[in-house]
Amino acid sequence: MLFLMSRNPEEPVYNRIEEARISLGLTRQDLADKVGVHYQTIGYLEREEYSPSLVLAIRIAKSLNQEVSELFSLTPLKKGK
Amino acid sequence: MSKKNKIYWFEGVTEKGVKSLLTDENSKYRWLRSQRNRRILVFVMSLGFVLVAMGSYWPTLKTNLNLSDGTAVVIYSVSAIFVIFAVLLGYLLLRISVRGIADAPNELLDERQIKIRDTSFRYAYYALGYLIVALLILMIYAPELKLFEPEGNDGSYLIISMLFACSSLPSMVLAWRERDI
Repeated sequence: MLFLMSRNPEEPVYNRIEEARISLGLTRQDLADKVGVHYQTIGYLEREEYSPSLVLAIRIAKSLNQEVSELFSLTPLKKGK
Repeated sequence: MSKKNKIYWFEGVTEKGVKSLLTDENSKYRWLRSQRNRRILVFVMSLGFVLVAMGSYWPTLKTNLNLSDGTAVVIYSVSAIFVIFAVLLGYLLLRISVRGIADAPNELLDERQIKIRDTSFRYAYYALGYLIVALLILMIYAPELKLFEPEGNDGSYLIISMLFACSSLPSMVLAWRERDI
């Protein structure tokens, strides 16, 4: 049963979604409704446990009034910048 | 928003049913969604499948326990109904615990949910393959278990158990693997 517990290791996409969302006073549910996903998907994204598709990344960036490159990175981001 | 409740025949679900499971409308079932409880449910379901598969051996309790014909029939029937009812109930609870994601159509899920659903089906397919190989090995190397014997045991309980397993495995994999559902 070990294989059932293993997770597919994929390259993480680091992001500032939580920071940007909170600065706009949005809840996870608010952002989820704006971009058309389940609120838990926002949680997964914020914990960097799920890498979004390009379409979702663009939608999130638009909803948070940011550029995709400001919000997402392949290298760890310094929070609060 | 359309008020019509669309039926997804292939998946065997309705739009309202899926949406109700995906949101937290069923808050009374929220306790089911912790990973610990989901894993307990998966374990109990697996036990249920084994009990159903062993249905052919239940009548042997009569001779093993020296029961009268009447008592044996009553115990056998009540046990059979109870186990099958428990497995069906387990299946419903399992679906609720994973928000019905394993049975939901693409258009009602987001990209992450589609991804975890598809991964669950892939692992369920592997698991089913291993299960079938294990049964074949048992049939070949342990014929004394009489898994498929024309006399007395036609293997119908094993088939019923496998059918339950086929329909539940994707949800079971999902329930076992995911941290948040």
